[in-house]
Amino acid sequence: MKGIISGIKRMEIHDGDGLRTTVFFKGCPLRCLWCHNPESLSFEKQIAYFEGKCISCGACGGARDEDAAEICPVGALWKYGVEYSVDELVDVVCQDEPFFKNGGGVTLSGGECLAQAEFAVSVARALYEKGISVYVDTCGCVRREVFEKIIPFTDKFLYDIKAIDSSVHKNCTGKDNRLILDNLKYLCENNCEIEVRYPLVVGYNDGECEKIALTLSGMGKKLKVKVLQYHQFSASRYDALGMTNTLPAVETTANDVATAVRILRSHGINAINGISDD
Amino acid sequence: MRKEELKKGVEARIKTDNDTDVLQNDCEIIEFLLDHCEFDFFPQNRFFVRVNCENVNKSKGVRLKKFDGVVEGAGLSEGYAALAYTGDVDFGHTCAEWESVISLGIYGLRNRVSEYAQSNSDTEHKKRFYQNLFRIYDAALRFIKRVAEKAAICGHREMSEGLFHLCEHSSANLYEALQTSLIYYTLQHFFDMTALRTLGRLDHLLYAYYKKEDTEYANSLLLDFIRAYDDYKATANIPFAICGTDTELNDTTNEVSYTLLDIYGKAQISNIKIHLLCSSKTPTDIMEKAFRLIREGNNSIVFMSDEKVIESLVKQGAERNDAINYHVVGCYECGAEGELTCSCNARVNIPKALELTLNNGRDMLTGKQIGLSNNGVFEDYESLFSEFLRQLRYLCASAMKITDLYEEHYSEIHSSPVLSSTYPSALAQGGDLYCDYAAKYNNSSVNAIGLGTAVDSLAAIRKAVYEDKIVSLDDLRDILKSNWKDNEYLRQIIKHKYPKYGQGNRKTDEIARLTVDALSDAISCKPNAKGGKYRLGLFSIDWRWSFGEKTAASANGRLAHEPLSQNTGASFDADTEGCTAHLLSASKIDMSQTPNGAIIDIDLHASAVRGENGISALVTSLKTYFELGGFAVHYNVLDTAVLKDAKIHPEKYPNLQVRLCGWNVLFSTLSEKEKDEFIARSMR
Repeated sequence: MKGIISGIKRMEIHDGDGLRTTVFFKGCPLRCLWCHNPESLSFEKQIAYFEGKCISCGACGGARDEDAAEICPVGALWKYGVEYSVDELVDVVCQDEPFFKNGGGVTLSGGECLAQAEFAVSVARALYEKGISVYVDTCGCVRREVFEKIIPFTDKFLYDIKAIDSSVHKNCTGKDNRLILDNLKYLCENNCEIEVRYPLVVGYNDGECEKIALTLSGMGKKLKVKVLQYHQFSASRYDALGMTNTLPAVETTANDVATAVRILRSHGINAINGISDD
Repeated sequence: MRKEELKKGVEARIKTDNDTDVLQNDCEIIEFLLDHCEFDFFPQNRFFVRVNCENVNKSKGVRLKKFDGVVEGAGLSEGYAALAYTGDVDFGHTCAEWESVISLGIYGLRNRVSEYAQSNSDTEHKKRFYQNLFRIYDAALRFIKRVAEKAAICGHREMSEGLFHLCEHSSANLYEALQTSLIYYTLQHFFDMTALRTLGRLDHLLYAYYKKEDTEYANSLLLDFIRAYDDYKATANIPFAICGTDTELNDTTNEVSYTLLDIYGKAQISNIKIHLLCSSKTPTDIMEKAFRLIREGNNSIVFMSDEKVIESLVKQGAERNDAINYHVVGCYECGAEGELTCSCNARVNIPKALELTLNNGRDMLTGKQIGLSNNGVFEDYESLFSEFLRQLRYLCASAMKITDLYEEHYSEIHSSPVLSSTYPSALAQGGDLYCDYAAKYNNSSVNAIGLGTAVDSLAAIRKAVYEDKIVSLDDLRDILKSNWKDNEYLRQIIKHKYPKYGQGNRKTDEIARLTVDALSDAISCKPNAKGGKYRLGLFSIDWRWSFGEKTAASANGRLAHEPLSQNTGASFDADTEGCTAHLLSASKIDMSQTPNGAIIDIDLHASAVRGENGISALVTSLKTYFELGGFAVHYNVLDTAVLKDAKIHPEKYPNLQVRLCGWNVLFSTLSEKEKDEFIARSMR
């Protein structure tokens, strides 16, 4: 069994607690307009061309395929999508094992890690068996059975909630949100550790703040919500991948985040400011 | 006297004849300067004064001239000129025995000399030593009195009262203890002309005095004290240490440790640096406090691993308690209690050893024979590596030989009566630390430079020549000689796609481990000319620029004349896997072999370590590195946007500091090239 991975980042501190290694699984069922990992949307390998890095050595002969990326000396042509077996991936992410203390470990992210269900569960199990903490960063838009299988090996779910209103959700992500909300309820019922993440995009889902607070209050479990700032840092990757840039023009300000945090807190939600992490 | 007159007075007094009694001559000069120098009060500085004799006493430089020809005489001048190795005297990296300086004061130190003189003057040599110390201590007390009188006239009441008291007593309170530190520093640094490179373990030294004062008053004194030292603008900054353990290995972190960090953060200064001595018992919250300061840009803090430092000093022959009470001088160099630390005698250029391996012992830039001959044919990587180690051992031996040629003549070059008077071993022997090698440990040091560059180059040769066979060794030699001319594609492939030290790659890290083991075999505990031993260090500081300038292109893709890798860390741009990988690579080196310092510089972008989790992640990375056997680490948190803006609008960031090598500088004082390097580092 192989999984396809778009990248691995070590010493990540924003995807969970402690010092973590984050694995970005390739492929996602949603198409959020503001997605900051465009290289993780497609389940297929992709070649990106970063013009700024190119030294015009001519080695690629103008080709934009896997062989050309292999030849490119400076990484101007970059292949997103490396296949790993479970063992291979576990070996790589365990390199930092000495640093996984005080709550650190591995975060499975993406894309949507649970969209490669069987592979993700096997990786989580293997890490669990080695005593390594596993966090699952998910959009929630996957079959219930996948959660059933991965819960035993997961220390915490980082769970995205983008909107409560179905039509807003559909406009922003391309999909209805019923499954997502149902799955969140299911995780709550199973008393899983959860940190909800609310990517705030002004003009798109800032009006959902209050509804998010009310819905989460009704989940039967006190939930922590981190409000994440939207920015356009990923624009160059859309260009490099030749993908249509869907990024909203207005970036979220620190003030916007603070306002959302205030609203959530006024409803008794344990809200965290994703910029200051306070 | 004005500075010019002082200079003439000193010049007239310097004696260089072969039978000169250097100690006596130095004391005569010091006495002359103490009695005739002028001084003025720093504005808004309640502590001591600025004297007008900075760099006036050039006696050691004048006496050294006699030895100008020794390197040439030994047939080592070509290798020295090529910066394959260097060797020198070192009078610049000392630590006073601060415990007695602070507790006894200048008056008490003189009395202690008296006691020794009465009970221990059984030889003429000893008698002469004590007499000379009296001469300078009496002059020092006259000088302090002169300052006290002027302070009284100028209305500096606190200072004058304190100084009058110190003329006849030891320190009675915190103000006088701090004043004593500055007086001593001035005496050793500007009169004795032996550079004093640490203020000692300040939290421990000051605790008893601090506790007797009102906290608010004590804190304001400490703030002024730190600023007073900052006013001296010492070359490469002046450090102090905090935390550590006592000889029972109990943690010695106290209230003053925290206060000193707070004050350092508040003082807005650029010329003070801190060594935070970490044991497994050091409280986490003081590390967190230090990391908060670093993140705010007060980044002149180096974390030292007690465990590894002590192990390295014991291995070097220090008694266990002396090792536990170690000091850190200058940047990262550790010495045992009672050791006269000479940390910067000699240097060895590690990549040059590989250059000589490939080129039959000849320098690729000049064609001169500076290494050992070979036939240039290596059937496999192993034989090439063993030839590299042979060349490296030769460079080490040459560096130590030159150092010996100077150090065996210390009695003809320099004495340090002020410093010697604080060392119990010197008082007991009745001899000077330099002229008579009277320290308990009289070691010398060799720093090996460019480890990352050399390791990456060896790894590149192994892969390109022997594994992938994409280029022959003969062709690669020619490519390097031509500085990669017409081979930019190969250079870029090696630079960006080959494994490097600093990426946590086991096979590459193994080369680093073996190289350092070989350096240690060649250097550690080898006898020097002073009855002591050689010690190994792995830091490059700014020498990586000058040594790089003289080093031909290297097989890791580095161009000729480019700087070598920094300190014990990865080559520039090679730490692509981040901080944890960098630390994992370094932890493969046995740093119990490097008492003279092995330091990793970690650059992090501000956004990568924000929030509380950012602080705890930094603490975790540090503790883990020390558990894995690290020696010392320094963190730079850089913000690209701030650096870029500061380059255009320096006036907006008057106190923005960056760590240049082993010391901090104001960003605004860097050259454009150096500013760009920091901006590039922050963007990785």
